[in-house]
This record gives sequence, C-alpha cells and structure tokens, in this order.
Amino acid sequence: MNIRERLGKELLFLDGGMGTLLQAEGLAPGELPETWNIEHPEKVEAIHRRYYEAGSDVVLANTFGANVCKFHDDRYTVEEVIRAGIANAKRAGEQIGKETYVALDMGPTGKLLKPMGDLDFDDAYEAFAEAVRYGEKYGADLIHIETMSDTYEVKAAILAAKENSSLPVFVTMIFDERGKLLTGGDVPSVVAMLEGLRVDALGLNCGLGPKQMLPILEDLRRYTSLPVIVKPNAGLPKQKNGETYYDVEPDEFARIMQEVVKGGACVIGGCCGTTPEHIKKLVEECKDLPLCGIEKKHDTIVSSYGQAVILDDMPRIIGERINPTGKKKFKEALKNEDMDYILKEAITQQDKGAHILDVNVGLPDIDEVAMMEKVVKELQSVTSLPLQIDTVDGKAMERAMRIYNGKPMINSVNGKQVSMDEVFPLIRKYGGVVVGLTIDEEGIPKDAEGRVRVAGKIINEAAKYGIDKKDIVIDVLTMTISSEKDGAKVTLEALKRVREEFGVRTVLGVSNISFGLPRRPIVNSYFYAMAMQNGLTAGIINPSSEDMMKAYRSYNALMGFDENCTNYISTYAGTTETVTVQASQTGTATGSASKTADGKMTLKYAIERGLKEEAHHITRELIGTREPLDIIQEELIPALNVVGDGFEKGTVFLPQLLMSADAAKIAFAVIKDVLASSGQEEEKKEKIILATVKGDIHDIGKNIVKVLLENYGFDVIDLGKDVPPEAIVEKAVEENVTLVGLSALMTTTVVSMEETIKLLREKKPDCKVMVGGAVLNQDYADMIGADFYGKDAMQSVHYAQKFFGMAE
Amino acid sequence: MTDARTKEAIRYLGYGRHAVDEQTLALIDVSFGELDQTTQAKSVYRIFDCKVTGEDQVTIGKMNIKSRSLGKNLRGCKEAVVFGATLGTGVDMLMKRYSLTDMAKSVVLQACAAAYLEEYCDDLQLSIEEELKAQNKWLRPRFSPGYGDFDIHHQDDILRMLDTAKKIGLTMTDSYMLTPTKSVTALIGISDTQEKCHIKGCEVCEKKDCIYRRN
Repeated sequence: MNIRERLGKELLFLDGGMGTLLQAEGLAPGELPETWNIEHPEKVEAIHRRYYEAGSDVVLANTFGANVCKFHDDRYTVEEVIRAGIANAKRAGEQIGKETYVALDMGPTGKLLKPMGDLDFDDAYEAFAEAVRYGEKYGADLIHIETMSDTYEVKAAILAAKENSSLPVFVTMIFDERGKLLTGGDVPSVVAMLEGLRVDALGLNCGLGPKQMLPILEDLRRYTSLPVIVKPNAGLPKQKNGETYYDVEPDEFARIMQEVVKGGACVIGGCCGTTPEHIKKLVEECKDLPLCGIEKKHDTIVSSYGQAVILDDMPRIIGERINPTGKKKFKEALKNEDMDYILKEAITQQDKGAHILDVNVGLPDIDEVAMMEKVVKELQSVTSLPLQIDTVDGKAMERAMRIYNGKPMINSVNGKQVSMDEVFPLIRKYGGVVVGLTIDEEGIPKDAEGRVRVAGKIINEAAKYGIDKKDIVIDVLTMTISSEKDGAKVTLEALKRVREEFGVRTVLGVSNISFGLPRRPIVNSYFYAMAMQNGLTAGIINPSSEDMMKAYRSYNALMGFDENCTNYISTYAGTTETVTVQASQTGTATGSASKTADGKMTLKYAIERGLKEEAHHITRELIGTREPLDIIQEELIPALNVVGDGFEKGTVFLPQLLMSADAAKIAFAVIKDVLASSGQEEEKKEKIILATVKGDIHDIGKNIVKVLLENYGFDVIDLGKDVPPEAIVEKAVEENVTLVGLSALMTTTVVSMEETIKLLREKKPDCKVMVGGAVLNQDYADMIGADFYGKDAMQSVHYAQKFFGMAE
Repeated sequence: MTDARTKEAIRYLGYGRHAVDEQTLALIDVSFGELDQTTQAKSVYRIFDCKVTGEDQVTIGKMNIKSRSLGKNLRGCKEAVVFGATLGTGVDMLMKRYSLTDMAKSVVLQACAAAYLEEYCDDLQLSIEEELKAQNKWLRPRFSPGYGDFDIHHQDDILRMLDTAKKIGLTMTDSYMLTPTKSVTALIGISDTQEKCHIKGCEVCEKKDCIYRRN
C-alpha cells in the first residue's frame, strides 16, 4: 500500500539515529557516512534491519549528505552512494514479514544560501533534484527531507522533490527551545510555507529531546492541517570531555513519546542518540494509542524567512512605496538598477510600521522578470517582512514566487477567467495568499452586490484547484469619489458583505479614494478608518504618511487591539501637533566649540561634527540665500577636507569620518533636489565602478569607500559583493568606465582580484584599477598588477581625484 | 566606566591610545544594545588527540596540518580542543541594513560584533578550562586557520569534524570564508602544565605593526 494511504490514519513508526551507530562501528569524525553504503554495506544493512525488527515501518536510507554540495569524494559519485544506500535499506526490509518503506533521506547541503552565504538557490535546487532523481530511479518509496534549519534551503529541496518525482514528501525541521529555527523563522511561518508547497507531512527532528518538543508540537498542531512527524533526539545534547552524548534512556524516551502521540503526532521516530532499543520501546508503548484527528485550520498566514504575519481581526499595514507608478525617482532607480534606493524604501517603511511590503517593479522598458527576481532577492537581505508580489506579468510572478523565501502575498488575481487560469496554478504549486480583485469580464460592478458576486466566483474557482479561501483575500476596489459620488459607500458596503458572507480577509488600496482632491491625506485617513471599521484587514498605504498612521493607531487603540494603548502612548506621548526639528542628541554632547561669531551653527560645523539633522536643516535655510554651488564650495567641501585631513593625520577616526560623510550626504541630497526642481543640470560626474571580488562576501571596506567617493562628487556604480570578473568587465565596457576599485578580504579571494585585473587589461585596456582590503599591501598589489593600492578610504579619494585631473 | 567589550570595540575602530569621542561612544553603546537583541550566539567543540612532529607537522584527530606557528603553539600538547562559534545571520543582516542608511553605525556595529564574538569565545574557553582543571589540564591560547602559516583551507576539515552546519548553522563559502560572517573556528592546545598565558592569540601573532594590536 502506498504510504500516503496510511498516513494520518494509523500511527507510523520511523527509525532512529544512524550516525551514532555508524560511529560505534568505526566511522571517524569528518568521514563521509555515505561511503559506507559501498564500503561496508553489510554493516549499514544490519543497522536498518535492527530498526525494522524493532518495529519501524519506514527506514531512512543512509543518504543524508548525498548531494553534490556536501558529498565530495574522489572514489564514489552521488548516484553510486544513493543506489547502494537504497539497496541496503531494501535488503534489510526483506523477510521482515510486514510492509516496509524506504525513504530517500535528504539533509541540508551544509552551505548557507545567498544572500547570507554563497550558495545560489538554483544551485541548491539542482543538488537536491539530482538526489531526488536517483532516489526515485532506485526505488525509494518516499522522500524525507530532514534536519533543515533554513526555510530557503528547505524550499529548494521540496521543489526539487515535487518537480522530479511523484513520491510522497515528508519534511522535518530543527527548532530550538524557543520554537525558532536557526534562521529565526517560527512555527506559523514554517507551517505556512510548507503547506503552501503541498508537502504530505511536516514536523520536527533533531535539536531537542522529546520533552522539549512537546510545546513546539502543540504550536504546530495549532497551525497545521497536515499529519505531524516528531523525531526527537535522545534528550538535549550534553558534553563531557569534549564529546557529545544523549542520556534519555529507551524507557523514558518511550514514555514521553506517548505524550507526543497524545499531543497529535502520527509519524514518530528518533534522531541523534536514539537506537533500535529506543525504537523497540517506542513501538511497544505507543502502538495501541489512538490517533488524534487532524483538524483543518483557517488562519490566513503570509510569511518570510524570519516571521509570519497572521491576518486576523487586527488590521495590518501593507507598505505601498515600492512601486514606480507616479514616482519619477523610483523609475530612475529601476532604470539604473539602483538597488540602494529601493532597499531604503523598504527599510523606511519597516521602521514606520509596515507589516508587509508590496513589491511592484513594472516599467514598460525593463525586463520585469529579471528585475523582480533581483529586487525580491535583495529585499530578503535587508528585511524580514513578508512581501506582496505585485505584477500583471505571469512570468515575473512565477519567478518571484519560486525564489521567494516564505509564503508570499500575491497581488493579484481577478474574476476574469483568463486571470484565474493563469494565477491559480501558481498558487497551487508554490503557495501564497492571493489578492482577488472584484472585477471580471464585464468590468467593475457598480454596486456592492456585483462585487460580492465576483468575490464568490473567485473563491469558487480557487476551490477547484484545492486552494482554500483562507488563502484568498478580497479587494473590493476603491473608487475615486470626485468622479463617483457613491464610490466610497459601495466599497464600504462590499467590504462588510464579503467579510460576513464568505468569512475571508480583505485588502484595499486606500489612497485612490481622493484622486483629484486637494490635501488628499485628509480624505484618505478618514476613509481608511471607515474601511477598517467595515472589515478591512490590510490597507495598502504609505506608512510614512502621518495622517494614515494616526488613523491606524487610533483605530487599534479604540477597538482594543492595542492593549493598555501601549503602542499609541509610546508613539505620541510627549509630542505635539506641530512638527519641530529636533536637535540630534548625540550632537549636543560635543557642542562646546564656537560655531560662528553670532553663536549660530554653520553648515561647515554641522558636517564636521557629523550632525545629520542639523546639516539637513541648515542646508534648507541656506538654499534660500545662497547659490547651491557656493554652498558646496564654501561649506561642504571645506568641511569634508578638514575631516579627511584629520583622518589622515590620525586625529579623526573612522566612525567620525563616516558620520561627517553621512551628514554631508544629506546636505548634498537637499541641494540636488533644489537643482532638480529648478531644472538646473547637475554637473556631469566621473564614473567609478566599485566591487568586492568574486568569492568575497565582506564588503564593509568597499561600502566605506563608496560613501566617501560619492561625497567627493563621483558617480559610483556599486556592483556589490561576490562579483565575477566578467560582470565587472562587462559593466566597465558598457558604461565606458575608466576607474575600477576592487576590494578583497582574504588571500583566497585576492586570486579573483588578480583575475579581474587581467580580464580588464584585456578587454578595457584604458581602465585603471585601485585595490584595497585587509590582506593587501603595496607589494601584493604590485604583484597582481593593480595601478594603485589604497591603505584607507581617503587614499582612494585622492587617487580618484588625481586620476580625473581634479583639484584636491 | 568603559567595560571590556567597549574597550575592545574602540580598539577595532583604530583609536589606539586616543580618547574616543562622545558621539562614537554613544554609537557603540546603542550598537551593543542592538547586538544583545539580535545575536544568537552558538558554539560547539570537541576534544581530539594531538601530536606535533618536528617543527611543523601537527596531527589533530585525522587532520594533518603543516604549520610552524601552530606547531609552536601546540608543542607538548597531547590533546586539543577544536571549536567553532557564531553570532548567527541576524547580525549580518543588521550590518547590511545600516550600510544602506548609516555607514558610521555599520562600521561601529561591525567592530562591536567582533568584540562581542571575542568575548563570547573567551567565556567559552574559560568554561572549558574550568572543566579541565579538575584533571590538572590547562589551555593554550586559541589559534585559528589563517593565523601565521596555519593554512585557511583547514577551515573545511574543522567544520566537518564538528559538524557545525547542522549543530550551530556555521558554514563556509567556496573561498573558505565563514558564514555567517561573525564566526570563529579555532584550535586550543590542552597542556599538562600551567603556563603564564593570555587566552587570546593576539600577542603571539607575528604582525607586530598591526594597528589593531593590543599594547
């Protein structure tokens, strides 16, 4: 019988530890256990047989590390160890006298995925896909993905399993005692993602003993509608004389595992430190226990790698700012691939209180699929907020859903058949909470009744794909009141009705309501409050708009979602209605030196002291009285020079240099805005490429150099970290850049620096190269053929100025 | 009052003997506060047999290392602690965020994270030593791949010997850089005799002109 037919209907027993038993047989620390499938097949088979004899229904083949990222052996291939591993387990199951199953065991790659590590998501997928293909080819009955601590890696493994086989997929992850993954994810975020990817069963293994797993099991059962697996260690790891051991004996293990079964697990076994004796006891004590039923859950959950956002009765905020519509600067940023600009929008919205970020990068003349992938990946490196993928391009949507680390929100599907035919299969495959717009072939219904009807149509169609209504949030659409008198009333009524009639959560883009009216935030914020009152779950708003946030915080305080009004008080206590520029606190501490004759602070002073708020404020004042270029020449540049000189003399230190740089940057931004709005052309800037070379992920030095070069008026093209030589050369040729700065931290990556220089010499001979980084010195720089070695960031500035023939 | 980790962070920022300014000190303070919230420090260690042959042949478990400076460090040790520690990925993300919005903060945070990690390793080392004292054993200063002529490529062996990816989420890139970036691996010799020594390896380093050097 296929194991899927038994899953959840009877208690199934897995095996116990493998590594510990192999070590007892002589496997050395650091040796690859999978090689034993070929070199000591009889020993591996004997361990499997002991588990079957102890009562295991399923054993995991000895293939935990059999993937190309982890298994590096010059004698055997991944295919050979998987084939032998499955054969050993199958032989062990012969003559057991009951139906047995062999799982292809897939553990982690042992590498950290980008952006925190250097393994690409697609490469991780390919490594797992290879193992899956061999697993199915050599007769595994199911795939067990286990001991995972990173949702991104587990997603790659699950997609690999589902796309390359039709076998059942079990997934277990490692949680700590606080119920968190190593990468920070919590139980609801894991459940949301795994259920979205349609695994067959999910649960816990390793990390903890059975007792510590009980509360996490409870949490799992609170959120999941799937069969739950529990595979604990024989207690918490303990250390003695530098050796790890586990000390929960078989009797005690089995006794606590009874609680685990009563707590709702229906597939159980053991992990590190558990033996055939543990499993034997476990089977004896648990086999007659009744199973708890599996309840269907109705929470609407979106997740990122680090957190879940549960859309419940308390309203949540979807930040609308990552969207080029009507934003000139954002469009520019997209065209120039200026990721920093986009990432800062994300950080600002998070700091202002957004819970989810909408991501829309659609522009007529860009490759939206590539841009969407790039932006989503970059966003995942700076924010743990879940993302809402906002696009009308099905390909961009699919790509984003694939590489997204979590269960995304999807904006959007609508009641048109063609839209539903395109979007629902993606939701079915990757998981996601999808926004359903109440519009269909006949347009937007004029009345609430019509919009409710379209909502129903969307929900019914989704059901055909097995998509539950908890994964649909309805957008009844905001109409502009200046052109439609009853627009707001219809929207509010429809909102209320879809909440009541279908029990689904809702979304609205709020600010459309005031289009064409003066002082739009007034109308927006009132409408926002009314919408929440009528059942709006998540408004898509600008969290930097104080009017909207006032409405949001007040609503929560009024409706009892802000206990003791804590949030409201912490935000508004001690504030007054008028916004005043507050002096930065760190600045006042040093304010003893004289500022000017009349005691008023000068811009030069503010920048020298690194006072950002003041620099901003004073620049705005100066703009009215002095020419922008004068401000730059007479205030900004002299201040930067004073600080730069001090740095080189050793009287000013790196943090101070950078505080000044940040303050200057703000002053420059104010001036730039004024120049732009008055239609004046900015001075043409010299271009410099900066990159941290391939293989190197330490980019702080490069970032310091970037800030300073920008301050001195250079146009820095920042290619980021771990940049292949080809990409640097290609950019230099494409943009005709004649100065490239490279950074590398270690001897192992200076090699790529040398390669990059060689390739530049070949393809762009007029390009000079300056280098810097911890292991470099003048000799080393000469050896790899660099034109200049910068001991510190200021030296790079001087070199660049000299190179472009600028006065210092 | 400046505590040990603050002093260490100031040293990493290159202040040497100079007094630190108030603004930077305030940033250091805030940074440690954020690190206390963000770090998920984890460590793992095992004890292996250790043998030093000639000037530069060192064997730890099944790992063979050719290194004169490590040989010197471990001379006379029959056992060695192999350990790995990490502050987790959250710190990397925090530094990345600040590199976009506040470069000074990013640099200070980086220095504070390094000091935090050092202190964490020191504490760990002290607790291991405490356990070994009962057996009349003492620890040498810790020594990491990349110090002196101890080849960085042994990073791979060490991570595998400790199974750090699974146990504490510590991995490395193809260029042998540890990820998360705020992580350490090291060998610590176990000696039968107590020597007057410092826990850290800074003083034994041959780069005497290093601006980050203590004293």
